[in-house]
Amino acid sequence: MLIDAEQAFAQQSEHALIERVKSGDQAAYATLYELHVKRVYSLCLRLLADKEHAEDATQEVFVQLWHKIANFDGRSQFSTWLHSVTSNIAISYIRKHKSWFQKVVSFEQSGMDEQSAADCDGFNGLDKLVLRLPERARMVFVLHAIEGYRHEEIASMLDMAVGSSKSQFHRARQLLKEWYENE
Amino acid sequence: MSKPEFEQFLNDSLNHKQDISPDKDLWPGVERAIATGQPEQTEKPNHGWNKLAAVAACCIAALLTVQLFVGQGEPNSMMAMSDYFTKQKQGLLVQYQNQPALTDNWQQQLKELEEAESAIKQALENEPENPALLQMLSQVYQQQLDLINKVHAPKWQTI
Repeated sequence: MLIDAEQAFAQQSEHALIERVKSGDQAAYATLYELHVKRVYSLCLRLLADKEHAEDATQEVFVQLWHKIANFDGRSQFSTWLHSVTSNIAISYIRKHKSWFQKVVSFEQSGMDEQSAADCDGFNGLDKLVLRLPERARMVFVLHAIEGYRHEEIASMLDMAVGSSKSQFHRARQLLKEWYENE
Repeated sequence: MSKPEFEQFLNDSLNHKQDISPDKDLWPGVERAIATGQPEQTEKPNHGWNKLAAVAACCIAALLTVQLFVGQGEPNSMMAMSDYFTKQKQGLLVQYQNQPALTDNWQQQLKELEEAESAIKQALENEPENPALLQMLSQVYQQQLDLINKVHAPKWQTI
């Protein structure tokens, strides 16, 4: 009961904060940023597997959020909406920063979907393994297993077939299992 | 002590996932970027539509051109496509010449795409009507137009 009350209070104060941000209050926006930056950065890092790119994408999320917060109608939880915004921006970020060759030739055609060269130092447990996954498998795994998206949603977000999303997820699990057992 | 089975490890990790802090303070960059603008409801109502119309016109024109040149596979497809896109590109560069760009490195990105364009054109010299190469060339041209539009007329995605 106490937890429910705390949650309700937190939601109410966040709602008030969002209303202040909508009216252009930058101090309120700084508070909102503090509340969510770790969650946004974690998702960007897991999707992009690169600290520098994750930092850039996180900043892009908060810049876009400032401009688009009026679109948040309060029908869903703010954190859910923000995660969806973050996922879309991180995916766009990956598309924008691919080399011209990767943009023109798909991964499947080029055979470039090798293990990520991410710097995994400083990470433990599952994150350390996830960051090593090849790009597509990693993105599907993060969106499905960690963020809870359905394969149909992922297929639409990543512009792939539903079957591809499922097979990339299976591949990710296999690789993670193999690496975990050989650690 | 032996380590848990993979399934157990995975479930525990997913149930107790932890957030990661960025190494740097990212707020100053965000603050600088938003300092000049208010949330969107204060923007002029027509502000985005002209830019959107320009982007849409470019996309439609590009699509029609690709269909025309790639679909029919006429002789000198590459030359015709190049002429068309060069005019489009020059038009956009002239249109945006007095408008500040959103990023500093867009010219570098444009250069990379131009290098891609040259590489594909070189390949087309050996196989002038190769549909895959023509398709790639049209995509690289489209990316150049998109880049120029995007850095000068940023359209925030629907969020």
